[in-house]
Amino acid sequence: MLHDLITITPQHESSAKMVFDKVLELRNGNPRGKMIITISGEVGSGKSTISIVLGRLLTNQGIRAKIIDLDDFYKIPPLERRAWREKHGLQSIGYEEYDWKKVYQNISHFLQNKVCSMPCVDLITNHVDELITDYKGVDLLIINGLYSLKIKEADLKVFIEQSYDKTIEYQHYSLKEKLDSYRLKVLQREHEVVNSLKGLADFFIDFESSLYHL
Amino acid sequence: MLGDILLITEKHKQAAEIIAAHIINKRKDRMIIAISGESGSGKSELAHAIAKILRKEGIFAKPLHTDNYYKIHPLERREWRLRHGIENVVGYDEYDWEKINQNLDDFRNGRRSEMPCVDLVTEQVDRLITNFGEVDMLLVEGLYAIKSDNVDLRVFIELTYLETKEKHTKDARGKEIMDEARWATLGQEHKMVQALKPRADLLVTKEYAVAKAAIS
Repeated sequence: MLHDLITITPQHESSAKMVFDKVLELRNGNPRGKMIITISGEVGSGKSTISIVLGRLLTNQGIRAKIIDLDDFYKIPPLERRAWREKHGLQSIGYEEYDWKKVYQNISHFLQNKVCSMPCVDLITNHVDELITDYKGVDLLIINGLYSLKIKEADLKVFIEQSYDKTIEYQHYSLKEKLDSYRLKVLQREHEVVNSLKGLADFFIDFESSLYHL
Repeated sequence: MLGDILLITEKHKQAAEIIAAHIINKRKDRMIIAISGESGSGKSELAHAIAKILRKEGIFAKPLHTDNYYKIHPLERREWRLRHGIENVVGYDEYDWEKINQNLDDFRNGRRSEMPCVDLVTEQVDRLITNFGEVDMLLVEGLYAIKSDNVDLRVFIELTYLETKEKHTKDARGKEIMDEARWATLGQEHKMVQALKPRADLLVTKEYAVAKAAIS
């Protein structure tokens, strides 16, 4: 993802620190192996931000983490997606929209220390570029995305809790997509699919409650 | 550049509105705009804000960050500069101009192009392939971006690193460790960047107002 705008709040920092501590703990039991962490949650829950803060905490410890964003892996490119979804109906929205073959190619190349190519959306132009990365020397793969919990191979599956009201609220001030009745239906559908996967997670972050506990 | 953190504020948006209007006014086919200024002056923020405005006008403008084009790898650069002397090596020649010019040329001709792309999290240099055929304008930003001859409009931000000191002291963007060597680097970059100012068509003042450069 190129040209993403993120805002780091103290909540993101404390959440990332919680995941970071868990990662260090898991690495102690498995000091040399490569690890995969997935970060899931609804739109606007802070997946990308937590991924970046976590990535930087790991870098400071000499642990090299590559972040991949599943938003880059949609089979239908951003500029065509809305028309495609309208044509195929709300039921077409869900994890089948990802190009899982490419996702798994990256996972396997990461595990084998190989060079791999992946799609990379430029959020300004909305065009899809291609990014080529060398996984040699990369210790950790952080995969963030709505449906990243589907990845069974992950060593840690994080889910960021967020109420549906918050998801809608975020859409109001985010300038990413205009919020109309169709967009609301999409969000509702995504909310249902994401929540149906929630049981697969093994690490939960509750932003709103951590806010009160801090 | 992957994993960069931008802080776009109202002042960036206001300056971007004026510059975008100027660009549209001077619009030409496959136009290249360059933005230079010192570290922390808001080049990336300005480029991002301009590109967003142009997009609303139906123009696909792609930002290109010259920090991606250093010949020496990010993890080796500090050591390399110290070994060769900051005063001797910090400057224009650190960029791979051949690669920059090749990418600008690919854009001019609407070709597919491959460019370096630094991931600030892994600190590795990835490669990015883009199809310039579907891009209308290029916004090249970086310390020495306006030095390129292959540019149609040059914007220069007058803020210096001394005025943006607070941004450096707090390491807010996690970019570099602040110490004596880093300050010396910023000082040398300051000299090199300021020497490019006469090339500018538009100036962004310290207050972030936009002014036309005096015709020299």
